[in-house]
Amino acid sequence: MLRFVLTRLSQMLVSLLVITFIVFSLSHLTGSPIDSLLPDDATPQQIASLTEHLGLDRPYYVQYLTFLQNAAVGDFGDSTKWKGSTAAEVVLERLPATLQLGGLAVLISVVAAIPMGVMSAVRRGSIFDRMAGVVALLGQSLPAFWLGIVLMWIFAVILGWFPTSGYGGLTYMILPAVGMAWFQIAALTRLTRSAMLEVLDTEYVKLARIKGVNERQVIWKHAFRNAAIVPITYFGVLAGSLLTGSVVMETVFAWPGTGLLAIDAIRGRDFPVVQSVVLFFAVFYLLANFLVDVLYAIIDPRIRYG
Amino acid sequence: MFKKYLCKPMVTGLMAIGATGAVAAQAQTIKLVMSPPAVETNRYWNTPGDFALGPSMQGLVGHDAVSGSYDNSGLADSWTHSEDFKEWTFKLKPEAQFHFGWGPVTAADVVHSLALHTGPDTTLNGISQLEGAVAEAIDDHTVTFTLPAPQVDFLFVHGGRGSLVVYSKAQFDAEGLEGYDAMPAGTANLQYVERNVGQGLNFEKVVDHWSGEDANIDRLELIFVSEAATTLAKLLAKEVDIVILPRELQGEALDAGFEAIPSTNASNQTTMLFNGSFLLPGYEGLDETLPWLDIRIREAINRSIDRVTMIDVLYDGRAEILPVFGMDPRHEGYVPELAERFEAEYGYDMDKVKALMDDADYPDSFSNPVIPILSSTLAGNPEFPAMAELMQVFLDEAGFQTEIVEMDWANLGALRTAREAKFFHPMRNLPVKPSAVGIRNYYSAAGAPRNNYEDEVIEGLMTKYMASIDPAEREELAGGIFTRVFEQYAVAPLASISAEVIVNPETVGGWVFPGTTSVGISHFGSIVPAE
Repeated sequence: MLRFVLTRLSQMLVSLLVITFIVFSLSHLTGSPIDSLLPDDATPQQIASLTEHLGLDRPYYVQYLTFLQNAAVGDFGDSTKWKGSTAAEVVLERLPATLQLGGLAVLISVVAAIPMGVMSAVRRGSIFDRMAGVVALLGQSLPAFWLGIVLMWIFAVILGWFPTSGYGGLTYMILPAVGMAWFQIAALTRLTRSAMLEVLDTEYVKLARIKGVNERQVIWKHAFRNAAIVPITYFGVLAGSLLTGSVVMETVFAWPGTGLLAIDAIRGRDFPVVQSVVLFFAVFYLLANFLVDVLYAIIDPRIRYG
Repeated sequence: MFKKYLCKPMVTGLMAIGATGAVAAQAQTIKLVMSPPAVETNRYWNTPGDFALGPSMQGLVGHDAVSGSYDNSGLADSWTHSEDFKEWTFKLKPEAQFHFGWGPVTAADVVHSLALHTGPDTTLNGISQLEGAVAEAIDDHTVTFTLPAPQVDFLFVHGGRGSLVVYSKAQFDAEGLEGYDAMPAGTANLQYVERNVGQGLNFEKVVDHWSGEDANIDRLELIFVSEAATTLAKLLAKEVDIVILPRELQGEALDAGFEAIPSTNASNQTTMLFNGSFLLPGYEGLDETLPWLDIRIREAINRSIDRVTMIDVLYDGRAEILPVFGMDPRHEGYVPELAERFEAEYGYDMDKVKALMDDADYPDSFSNPVIPILSSTLAGNPEFPAMAELMQVFLDEAGFQTEIVEMDWANLGALRTAREAKFFHPMRNLPVKPSAVGIRNYYSAAGAPRNNYEDEVIEGLMTKYMASIDPAEREELAGGIFTRVFEQYAVAPLASISAEVIVNPETVGGWVFPGTTSVGISHFGSIVPAE
């Protein structure tokens, strides 16, 4: 097990290193921050001074190595858009809002998708199964930004049940959380359904039924517990979607989390914040997948010897 | 660390769960939605000038809300200048007070503010006007600026779009920059309450304001929203009272019974620039393959543009045709004849276009006949991509070979700085600037590297213009430059536009603002709540 964990950890570190290089390179490909930070009539002295201050006059590889060295200790430099704060501080300030929204989205996803997937499998071919299929299809095909705007229009503007956007209590979170959960519900429903179908067809489930075990127990205790391994692996993706999904929904619903921060930082060419947000997303994603790998290995020992 | 950044906000967030949703605007509280500013800070000199702190901070010079002309509604009661315009003296209002008990506004505050605004970390637009300026406190309420060169337009730097707002030295001495970050003391009739990072800013009325003119509203909430559709939804749901909306969405709000309030004066000019028209003799960097170096092509392109249709499509008909980009009746060198000549010399005329193209032997005589039209987005200019596409439609119809090039605005800026930009692209002059600034930025080598057009005649006139301190002579020289620009078809001027806000008439009774700031709006204290 230890060897398995160490192998996964080393793979994670390599991935992280590659990601740092991509993040660093991509943010520089979008243009020089000098051009957005300084006015049109900036003097050559101002340009030179800021270039030197930001270290942009140094060779590319030196800039990258410096970035790597600083990033290792969580130092991404000062934000250029949110003056007076470091990039890491800006990200950490916004994180709770994203976790609130993402947490609710995950809750909605699980509460909606697991029963729906299980019941679709149990009642295979029924109207319920077909309707769940339609929900899954819609969930995976509707663009998130479009869905967000439609939800806002119907439930906030027309019906007035929720506020359109902004930061606040539960009423402010419902629409963006549903929007974020929508895609995940679709995916998780399909995964749960197919996993359940496979398990429901096994000999031990048939045996349980023959022995007269209560149907509810057959489904939830015997079948679902064994089918759950597939949805559990999906939790890595689901956890990642907490953050990546937040980019669109937070922007549409003006929810001040890390997703909106990423967009604002990109628009404002705030390189330090862009880099720290993206790296934070990446680390979060890698960690979530790492935990799922470990969990998977614990549940199914064949994995660690595979 | 964990406690500070995770626990407390999460607990706060959880406590907020269950709070009510949309809250209708109170009668005296006005909620205004705007795009997030480029930089979120209470340090004005660290922004490009798009200043969300406008409701609480002031400069030395104010603007009349109706005419937009300079007046003494700012911190200075009066001002004089030396004959050569190199020394400007401002008499401060002795009654002017900073918020939160930071005391009276003195000349020392102005000297201190100039030092902040011209420091190494300044990113202000228009800062070149303060370059080399030295401020000296003559007495408590008199301050003199000594400039390295004559500046006839020096009031611009102290006005609504100005680069210098006045901060309290007393607050700085006591609290440092952190004091400004936490609770900046301004002087206007609304004072700072709080900044919710990423969400907006709140202000409240100063009771018994030193100016004798209290704000009409008790509280102003500026709300930052990135998405225009979300902004529209907030208005339609009546969660907010005033919004700044892109023109293409305004119609929907107006149809729903909301009202548009324009600035009293044009706030913005738009144009299409011909990059790289560096026609000074001997310039080695000139790309001679650019098709618009031929004046017939520039004229043909100008005449291909149906400006009336363009204004209908882009601005819902609420804009005026602009005869010369950079020229405005409020500033030096306005030549009314150019407006009169416009239809004859720039008007949409396909026959003339064809004749010009034939005469220039387009495209056969051009090694690179393609007109690359740049499509990009710039904060506050949501119509730029549509403008580029519209230009392509007009030019294609005329028979030009075109291509749309999508590029980030910052990358365009880098190319312009390197004098390597080679596009036909949208540009704005926001707010409408003094003529000297506009001419320098777009038509003269003095604006290098980012200018677009240079020629020998303009350089000659510009040299005299910059040196002249005689108003009549300056008027004539600026007019001469604008005439040259007009006759050379140096750019494709498009429209002159007011800044507009859309308001809920149930909560907002009126608002008069002159369109002199970078976001177009100002005079927040004069927002009138509905009866």
